[in-house]
Amino acid sequence: MDEPRAARLVQAALRCYPARWQRRHGDEAAELAALLIRDGTPAGSVALSYLAGAAREWLTPRPGRRPGRRPGRRPGRRLGAAACALLAAACSLGVSAGLLASAGPARAASPSPARPPAHCQPGSAEPVPAVGRPLVIIWVAGHGRSC
Amino acid sequence: MAVGRRDGKAGPDALRRVGEASVLVLISLAGGPKHGYALIQDIKELAGVELGPGTLYGALDRMERLGLIEPLPAEDRRHPYRITAPGAAALRVHLDAVERVSAAGRLRLQLGGI
Repeated sequence: MDEPRAARLVQAALRCYPARWQRRHGDEAAELAALLIRDGTPAGSVALSYLAGAAREWLTPRPGRRPGRRPGRRPGRRLGAAACALLAAACSLGVSAGLLASAGPARAASPSPARPPAHCQPGSAEPVPAVGRPLVIIWVAGHGRSC
Repeated sequence: MAVGRRDGKAGPDALRRVGEASVLVLISLAGGPKHGYALIQDIKELAGVELGPGTLYGALDRMERLGLIEPLPAEDRRHPYRITAPGAAALRVHLDAVERVSAAGRLRLQLGGI
């Protein structure tokens, strides 16, 4: 990926953080991203890390800040806004499911072939322990567990 | 147990809940103040773990809120951080606990003849 495009990708991810965070870390985070990309880290991986960080930043409760309790704001609105912003950012960045899968360390390190878990295959009733972090939760009628 | 105290600061066992990334950052800062890029490089060398920048800033913010680290005056655009006295105490407690668990694990492996 060329340098301006990588910078745009990272800037888009950094814009997903709350304004307070951007004021505090924004410049330094952009510089850090440039250094990591220069060292060979894929720009998509850096942007994805910032996107995940932005999601955590929005969703983590802070002392003295009670989401949904501000006058005139409905509970859960903040959560919804954060989710929409991140989804929109991910779409605008063109982050594909393939990129998500390849950048996830748990999946990247997994030696198992890409096929459905045994408990999701027809005719199987054996429980399979969950390994790693599920990226996508799919509810399947029948066993009611995440795959 | 001091995590979640009213003053927002942490007790000596604070590292039980902050996650591996925070522990690695604290270990790196125990060797001297560092900024983000230096932390990532040091942790990669020290533990073979490549921290993502988003994970790094999350860990830095969380530990600063807990009073385990503190920012130093900015150098250009970079903000170096250093470990505080409560941070060093929490790291010692955590490493002692890890050592105890590790020793117990080795002993059991030995007794089990595995």
